[in-house]
Amino acid sequence: MTDDMAPLWLSLKVASCATLLVAGLGLPISLFLARVRFPGKGFAAGALVLPLVLPPTVLGYLLLQVLGKRTWFGGWLDETFGIALVFHWSGAVVASAVAAFPLFFLPARGAFEAVDPALEDAARLLGRGEASVFLSVTLPLAWRGVAAGIVLSFARALGDFGATMMVAGDIPGLTQTASLAIYDAVRAGDSARAAWLTLWISGISIAALAFVQHSLPERGRRS
Amino acid sequence: MSASPPSLKVQIVRRVHDGLTLDLSMELNEEIGVVFGPSGAGKSTLLRLVAGLSRPDSGRIELGGEVLFDSDRGINAPLRRRRVGMIFQDDLLFPHLNVASNIVFGLAREPRGRRESRLSEVAALCGVEPLLDRRPETLSGGERQRVGLARALAPRPRLLLCDEPVSALDLPNRWTLLDRLKRIQAAEGLPVLYVTHSPAEAIALGTRLFLIEAGRLVAEGPPLEALAGSRQAEFLRVEGVRNVFPGKVAEQPDDQGSTRLELDGGPSLIVPRLDLPIGAPVVAEVRGDDILLAREPVVGLSARNQIEGRIEAIVPHGHEAEIVIRAGESRWLASTVATATTQMALAAGQTTHMIIKARSCRVTPVPT
Repeated sequence: MTDDMAPLWLSLKVASCATLLVAGLGLPISLFLARVRFPGKGFAAGALVLPLVLPPTVLGYLLLQVLGKRTWFGGWLDETFGIALVFHWSGAVVASAVAAFPLFFLPARGAFEAVDPALEDAARLLGRGEASVFLSVTLPLAWRGVAAGIVLSFARALGDFGATMMVAGDIPGLTQTASLAIYDAVRAGDSARAAWLTLWISGISIAALAFVQHSLPERGRRS
Repeated sequence: MSASPPSLKVQIVRRVHDGLTLDLSMELNEEIGVVFGPSGAGKSTLLRLVAGLSRPDSGRIELGGEVLFDSDRGINAPLRRRRVGMIFQDDLLFPHLNVASNIVFGLAREPRGRRESRLSEVAALCGVEPLLDRRPETLSGGERQRVGLARALAPRPRLLLCDEPVSALDLPNRWTLLDRLKRIQAAEGLPVLYVTHSPAEAIALGTRLFLIEAGRLVAEGPPLEALAGSRQAEFLRVEGVRNVFPGKVAEQPDDQGSTRLELDGGPSLIVPRLDLPIGAPVVAEVRGDDILLAREPVVGLSARNQIEGRIEAIVPHGHEAEIVIRAGESRWLASTVATATTQMALAAGQTTHMIIKARSCRVTPVPT
């Protein structure tokens, strides 16, 4: 039973770490793109949404070209920090984070754009510094979109298959997430195991979607 | 007038767009300075520059002896350090916070006890005590503006900037808010810079008017005088001058046909019968054209009101003249033809009697 559940726990661990990574990087990036004008902004926003339209295997291949031990960046990571992402669960985190990023970025950026910058100015005029303006005005008003982004990117990271397999491989007990385990179970003719994992993954994803669709809109501000 | 140095000194140049460059110098004491002018003249830009919401191309802004901006010395104080309060046409209340949290928003660094006491102080001053637990979306336009005013005043700003704060309000709410603002200004001795394109507001509110056209200061002085000497004087003829005063229903006489109002800090006014209880707040409006002046009390007259006052000033413009009359604590404007002024030998300092028909008074109840 424990063995059966291992891919699921790994999936939850990978998806949670990926979501933290996505939110940590995505919050400042989406706020910046919502607020600041700069040349090439449309290009930058397009590049950030690219993982949504590229095939996951292409994404995985491109990541390998950056993170592999023989590449410049991957080699530097390995030598300096002793971090090897490829064929390691942390590689699955990076791969699923990249695949999930647009699903955080799009609603979060939209939510930040919907916050009237004049309200932020009003807060500054009342003596608040930038961090305080963000925490007490911008984030609470954009909270709906940010929460939707967190839930959606978690669901996307949880279900990632192609990018994860390309970068982290499919090593049982090490990098075999639930999605990969389902694939292996079907290929091995273990239909019961595939169904069991499918039930769990689907249940978690549907619950996340239901949360976004039902509980968030009611909490939002009415204007 | 006062010997103390001016609170606010502004000397700025700022290019707004191809057709408009704001280029002006002005000084303001602890009084209400009305910034008046046609739309697109640069009035709101001026407020934004003083607040720090945008940056002058060059010049200098000084408030209470402190330099907020100086292009020569490279000084540009961040807006959170300027201690300038501002209220807006769109009230900009924080929609996710209740009224009390909105008001104390600028008091984040104060200890809790001081925050609470200042909250009750400004809530009383602005008449928002019953609203403290409400959310902004449940408030009326007038209530929202009062909360915005309370929020701006709470951190004890050194200057209050008002960017057309009443233009979205209906008539009674507009005049009660203006009246409140006037009283708060007098009580706190706060310099106020008030932007409007309404001549009635400008005359009623300000002790000093800055007339701005196409980015330049073209006239400055007591409101009526500054306006009468300018191209904007046209409005006095076209639109007419309105006297607007908040007050209360004081008496419902037995004659059934009339109601007596007690104007705030001013005389009584008999108006056509109102179905309102005693004490109900109202706003009364009398056009300058509907006021007759008499040097002596008149007997045997059908008009119901004869209000005694003292002529403060006579402001001629073209063939007409506005007579500024003080009655009680209120200031009235009566419009006359310039020749009548000379024929009657009207002069500042004289006592006069304003004759007003009850039916010339427009009264609007203030929603509570």
